[in-house]
Amino acid sequence: MQFKALLLDAYRQLSAAKLFWVTFGISILVVVAYGSVGFNEQGISVLFGLWEIESEQLNAGSPWSRGLYIGIFSSFLVNIWLAWIATVLALISTCSIFPEFVHSGSIELTISKPIGRLKLFFSKYLVSLLFVVLQVTVFCVGVFICVGLRVDEWNPMIFSAIPIVATFFSYLFAVCVLVGIVTRSGITALLITGVFWMALWTVQTSEAVLNRIVIEQQVAIERFDEGVKKAKEELVKITETSAEDFRIPKLEKRIETFSNNSKESEEFLEKITSWHTPTTWVLAICPKNAQTIGLLQRWLNDPDGFDITAIMAGDMRSIEGGEDEVPYPHPDPDGPARAARERETMRRMVDEYDSNSLWYVVGTSLLFEGVILGLASLYFCRKDF
Amino acid sequence: MKLHQRFYVIRLYSPSVAKTIVGTDVAYWEWYTLWMAAIQIQDVEKMYRGKVHALRGVSLDVMDGEIFGLLGPNGAGKSTLVKILLTVIHASKVSGSMLGNPIGHRKTLESVGYLPEHHRFPYYLTGKQVLHHYGALCKVPRNDRIARASSLLTRLGLSGWENKKVNSYSKGMLQRLGIAQALMNDPKLLVLDEPTDGVDPVGRREIRDLLAELRDEGRAVFLNSHLLSELEMVCDRVAIMVKGLVTMQGTIDSLTKDSRRYEIQVKGALPSWSSEACDEVKGDTMIVHGDDPLAIQSLLDRLRNEQITICAVKPVRETLEDLFMRAVDYTDTPGAVQ
Repeated sequence: MQFKALLLDAYRQLSAAKLFWVTFGISILVVVAYGSVGFNEQGISVLFGLWEIESEQLNAGSPWSRGLYIGIFSSFLVNIWLAWIATVLALISTCSIFPEFVHSGSIELTISKPIGRLKLFFSKYLVSLLFVVLQVTVFCVGVFICVGLRVDEWNPMIFSAIPIVATFFSYLFAVCVLVGIVTRSGITALLITGVFWMALWTVQTSEAVLNRIVIEQQVAIERFDEGVKKAKEELVKITETSAEDFRIPKLEKRIETFSNNSKESEEFLEKITSWHTPTTWVLAICPKNAQTIGLLQRWLNDPDGFDITAIMAGDMRSIEGGEDEVPYPHPDPDGPARAARERETMRRMVDEYDSNSLWYVVGTSLLFEGVILGLASLYFCRKDF
Repeated sequence: MKLHQRFYVIRLYSPSVAKTIVGTDVAYWEWYTLWMAAIQIQDVEKMYRGKVHALRGVSLDVMDGEIFGLLGPNGAGKSTLVKILLTVIHASKVSGSMLGNPIGHRKTLESVGYLPEHHRFPYYLTGKQVLHHYGALCKVPRNDRIARASSLLTRLGLSGWENKKVNSYSKGMLQRLGIAQALMNDPKLLVLDEPTDGVDPVGRREIRDLLAELRDEGRAVFLNSHLLSELEMVCDRVAIMVKGLVTMQGTIDSLTKDSRRYEIQVKGALPSWSSEACDEVKGDTMIVHGDDPLAIQSLLDRLRNEQITICAVKPVRETLEDLFMRAVDYTDTPGAVQ
């Protein structure tokens, strides 16, 4: 009964806020815009047929139209709208919930009722997530209908965005609650949460950049070692035929260059790893916002292999088909092998992040959230109001 | 046996049974007091951050079916004491009981109504929603909430406003709504902090009448107020707190007993024997200390025999304000002890 009362109160508080309805309206507009995209025999139609894009690969009969349509949802609508813009609006709307809750004159009324402080705190915290849950639920229902009508796929996994986005938001909201309870100021809570979010983004981006460099060096070392091996095999063959073949000095030079390059890469790898390792430790204890949102892409993967983020990154294999031919390693770092190395790096990075377990991504993030909420609840329970 | 366990036993059993459990004699007054006490606290202390000694061993009793007033200057610790009873503040030291349970017992709060000073209701709720919300937090069943909300809004003169948002209410209306909120759980004990703050004279009278009705229904009412005249009109007993200590406690009659006197005002000059026949003389008035009317009969007879016109005979006693001013030593700095 008490939880229901708090839930009802949270709904009334949110529905009294104009920003809630503004966000709600924009969500509906985004869904309508999404639903306006469709496929016909010629290609893609946008804004209910106002604008046509002819495409041989992406049309009503194409197996990739499904991948593109769901990819737009999981890669853009969720990543940009839900994980950024709607989250900022949600934080603005909810940052004052706890400061108002603990405001003098208001908290005495609630805390003097027969409800334990800990139960009150966590009930209030959970019902405060209602803003995001309501917004994302409506959004997902819209997207579910659009996907069903446009590509004839009634995919319930779309609704996995609700817990994912709510969990993502809860990492930030926990910090907002802690600051809000201590300072009793919504603005301060919002600002510090913003700073925390930026700090998280910095840690995650640094880790991703360093990880990319590490993998790039590992790939380079593998390729150079492979080149040395191939050159040595070739050298043995040639030497067996003729000891004075004109290719021998060239091959020896190549082996030397590859060996030197491999050695340089190893030294660089060692140096960069000393930076990367502490960053991974820091990231391990921080909430993993990007990876949490990334779970949706992982779960909504196209069975036909269409990967819109890979296409955006220039990797057309999902459309054109076939595996990369591994070109012969070239001594020139900007040579023809570079593009293949970068693609391989990207592939390994994606594989590495995809191999992170749900426990690592969500579990460690929730652990962090739990610590923050533990501190906030301890403060709330011990505080003399 | 700890004190609160002793309370339990004494409240639950007759004196003879309690004696066998407690192991010592239980005085009849102790048994009776605990049975009848809505609040019984001893040596309540509160120290803020080891610096401010807000309460320095407060002990008081509030009985069922009485209106108890707590007075004191600003910073005396009145609100701190009330908040300790309602678990809003943690006491540094507390022993005693409220409605038969130890102070801080969460379930007991189901039977306690509370109106804090300067309360703020959520601006987005209507009057009716406020009552339902706080009623639900007190675990009042939905059907009871519906019935009580409607009758309380009418009883407190808010009918017609139940579906209006509280941000459109006047200060007095908010105060009435606050009292209605405190009564939503049909409490046995009602704790009101400045209940008539911002209420017009008519409203104050209505609130006084309501409090008297509640007392007659057998509920205990604990009032915390600065309005001494209001308290004087409605309270059965009062306690005066100064610097975290209760300096006076009892019925207004008992507290003002020593100050009772008769003032006899005559027309013209007082007779020459007047200063010997009474305790005090002030202008044309003779003052006789005490509250026994027999003590002034001979004096009145003598005045009449001497053809002196008696203008007025007034039994006088200290007002609560006089009592308050006597209890509070304003030569000292106000506020809590540092």
